[in-house]
Amino acid sequence: MSHDKMILKHPLSVRMFHYFLILSFLPLAVTGVLLYFKPLSDAAMHLTMQFHAVAGVVLTVACASFFFLAYDRVVLFIKRVFSFSIADLKWFAVLGGYPQKLILRKKVFVPPMGKYNSGQKLFGIFVLIGGSLLILSGWILWGYPHALPRGFVALMGNVHLIAGIVLTLFLCVHLFLGVYMFDDFKAMILHGKIPYEEAKEMSPLWVEKETIPVAKITR
Amino acid sequence: MSEQKYQYTENPFAVTRREFITITGVIAAFLALPAIWIKSVASSNNAYIQARTQGLYTDDVKSTIRVSHANTAVNRYYKEFGGEPLGHLSHKLLHTHYINRTKGLG
Repeated sequence: MSHDKMILKHPLSVRMFHYFLILSFLPLAVTGVLLYFKPLSDAAMHLTMQFHAVAGVVLTVACASFFFLAYDRVVLFIKRVFSFSIADLKWFAVLGGYPQKLILRKKVFVPPMGKYNSGQKLFGIFVLIGGSLLILSGWILWGYPHALPRGFVALMGNVHLIAGIVLTLFLCVHLFLGVYMFDDFKAMILHGKIPYEEAKEMSPLWVEKETIPVAKITR
Repeated sequence: MSEQKYQYTENPFAVTRREFITITGVIAAFLALPAIWIKSVASSNNAYIQARTQGLYTDDVKSTIRVSHANTAVNRYYKEFGGEPLGHLSHKLLHTHYINRTKGLG
């Protein structure tokens, strides 16, 4: 294959959704940490809460829009992140070869992966479940605390806190690895495409089983 | 956005019909179950409020004195000491003034 050949990895709908996630989840994580530690004055904390609520509404609208407008992508994502095999255990055994590559400058054998590697699948599962819990508990805490029993609202508060901490920690790893995989970063932020050869190296099973030449579709 | 073209894309039929229906069913279940749970929790909360309301009404029905002007102790106070309701002495003794003490709480 020629080095110039490109694969469309992230279509426009996915990139648009990702932009909205950046716009909403990053402010939510920052304001969430501020709301937990309360380092600012009363007025500033009040403003922080207002920012948190607005970003939460943006996140909800973005997720609901993506769910209804790109439902096929949602199904595809769920199928991919919940597909496991023995290769995933082998991937976790060497942690995708990243520590060896980053710390020891050594290349180790990594089992061939699909579009998402095992770490990304785990991240995807946490984002899917944790994100849903965050949105649900956030709306209950913000909009309807008076309409539900006190114990249930307190439970939602704990769920919101735990899911928020887990996803914020995952976000830090995601940001680091997202920038480290620079071609994939450019694809998600800019044009959606990655070089064929790189995709073949990083996601050989995806390239082999799930991609086809554009000419085959447009013909 | 780059104008760069691409030669490969994802197969639009990467999900089979069976997988599509199965995953849709799972999504529907995961959307419906919390909705049903929250609805039942909310209605149990209302049931508590309704029981409390019913209890207050029952207390009212059982009470022999239901209004303050029928209270014998209050009537005796006005008759023997306070004069008439809203009178000068009653106002002086019973009327309270609001003082903002919230600053002292911090």
